[in-house]
Amino acid sequence: MNLIVAILSGAVVYAVSVLYAGIGETFTERSGVMNLGVEGIMLMGAMSGCVTAFHTRNLALAMLIVILTGAVLGLIFAFLTVTLQSDQTVCGMAMLILGTGLSGFLGEDIASKPINLKFTKIPLPVLSEIPIIGDILFNQNLLVYIMYLLLPLATFYIYKTRWGLKLRALGENPAVLDAAGENVFAMRYGYIVFGTTMMAISGAFVSLAQTNVWQEGMTAGKGWIAFALVAFSSWNPATLALGALLFGFISNLGSNLQIYLPGVPTEIFSAMPYVATIVVLIISTGNFRKKHTAEPAALAKAYDRESR
Amino acid sequence: MKKLLSLLLVGVMVLSLVACGTKDKDDTSKGKGTKDVSELVIGELHYSVVEDGGWAQAMHEGIVKACKTLGIDTEKQLLTRENISEEDIALVESTVEELVDNGADIIFGCSAGYATILAEIQPDYPDVIFAQQGNDVYDNIVEFQIRGYEGEFLAGYLCALLNQGSNELGFCASMDEASVRTALNGFALGAKYANPEAKVQVIWADSWYDLDIESTNAETLINKGIKYMGMEASSPAIPQKCEEKGAYCIGYNIDMEANAPKAVLTSFVWNWAPIFEDIMKKTAEGTMKNSANYYEGGECAQLADFNDELVSEDIQERVNELKDKVAKGEVVIYGGELKDDKGNVLVAAGQTMSDEDILAQEFFVENVVGGK
Repeated sequence: MNLIVAILSGAVVYAVSVLYAGIGETFTERSGVMNLGVEGIMLMGAMSGCVTAFHTRNLALAMLIVILTGAVLGLIFAFLTVTLQSDQTVCGMAMLILGTGLSGFLGEDIASKPINLKFTKIPLPVLSEIPIIGDILFNQNLLVYIMYLLLPLATFYIYKTRWGLKLRALGENPAVLDAAGENVFAMRYGYIVFGTTMMAISGAFVSLAQTNVWQEGMTAGKGWIAFALVAFSSWNPATLALGALLFGFISNLGSNLQIYLPGVPTEIFSAMPYVATIVVLIISTGNFRKKHTAEPAALAKAYDRESR
Repeated sequence: MKKLLSLLLVGVMVLSLVACGTKDKDDTSKGKGTKDVSELVIGELHYSVVEDGGWAQAMHEGIVKACKTLGIDTEKQLLTRENISEEDIALVESTVEELVDNGADIIFGCSAGYATILAEIQPDYPDVIFAQQGNDVYDNIVEFQIRGYEGEFLAGYLCALLNQGSNELGFCASMDEASVRTALNGFALGAKYANPEAKVQVIWADSWYDLDIESTNAETLINKGIKYMGMEASSPAIPQKCEEKGAYCIGYNIDMEANAPKAVLTSFVWNWAPIFEDIMKKTAEGTMKNSANYYEGGECAQLADFNDELVSEDIQERVNELKDKVAKGEVVIYGGELKDDKGNVLVAAGQTMSDEDILAQEFFVENVVGGK
């Protein structure tokens, strides 16, 4: 039983570490903009959080700086892709390279140094007493609890509110919104900045909650996993959470199977999460299931009033 | 405006060419073996940044320490080149050329991957000493390696001593490769020396760097009831997980105590400085042979200071005693009889494994559980 609790609570932590970025990317892509720079922005978030925490010993301030870092990067990306209408794939790659390099450069002084200030686990009163579930879900850190609130809110926002309707229209056909008198550019700016802010928080989760250190390139591909999960989830935050949990569950399981199933090459377990992703991707987006995909029709297309 | 700008650019380029030209002339005065050691110019090649909290950092610190001992000004005479990919032959070559242009007398290749390239281009720079981390493979470059198993042997011994009432120890390994096996086998042999019944359960990340997998693996071992573990990994994720769960571990590459003061007993650290010092001195004297090979233990393969809160003085003393015995040759780590994890005899009683076989590490010793 302890084993199951350990695997599942590990899966929750893993899921949350990619969910912030995943939700950010979902909103960005729903607005018709593809941001490939997730990994770079996560690294900037991870670095800025650690640097601030290291120098000020103030976690709240660190998170504020993380959010600002994300927002500034978002503004740059939005300026390039919305105002200047540059190619989103190229700009995304530029953000990726910029974030990876700049975070390494700015974080050099505190690389590998102990921060000793992190989001520790806070068992929630009453809820954490529930057998099994309490240990899995309610003995986590603050950022995990915030995600519990954020996830239903994000889903509700997209599917049940007027703003969500506009957001979906923005990704499908921005011209219609423009004709209806909505400010397409301002909305895209807003969602891009929201997205990059969330990505930066994901990075800070890795460096200030999961571990407590800054090292160059420490997110080690999580940004890409978040990016892939968005397509995998059909741009739906609830499905996104399931995907992230599945991924976290399988990679935690693999570690345990090494011990409990000796004799099987460990590379098979290490490859499992990726194999599972491919299988689920085929099932969820394969041609045989439905002709219509949930991909926003205007995704990765710059909106230009003059060329409608 | 544009014309003016391009004229200006051309001007700058011409000037920079002239500047390079004059520098080259200065360098011709440099001969082999006529220098005071404090005048040496040192180049170093790293595949990552030097503050990586691991391998590169230990190398860089070793070079800096050696420079300081010998009075070499690290600000001006130590040329550090980071992020030089071992796969990018052209980049390595051009970096070497640039270092030589800047007067480098020795170029240190701080990762095994540079060996082939450096050995190939060495004949083009006969006045420069190329020193490369690796096993004794090439005759025209200096190669150096540390007997890491000596430090890990002490680490395993320490863990087994502390692991009262249990025979099970853990080890978090990265990839299945000779240097990782060296650490794992050394740890297991040390554990066995303290407790003949000790078993070391290894768990693989199958990745050189993945914080998630590393901390998950540590947690898996802890959930299995293991309290003491060794590791071969580059991040403090494992020590931090141990601290969170009330387990203990040995840090790796650099002293990790500050990263998890309630979990790190001590750390295995690379101390390259003595080797580098020797290379620098001999280069200055002109007696450094290109074919030289260093394979050093002792002070090079050390444990960092013990964590006094977690390791009692009595235990510290016992580990230090063993260290002396290893140094004096009273305890031979790869001495027979030694069996592998499948029961085959690796070294017959009374014999010692050859350095070649120790370097190749094509085995897991008998008390390793979960070897590949």
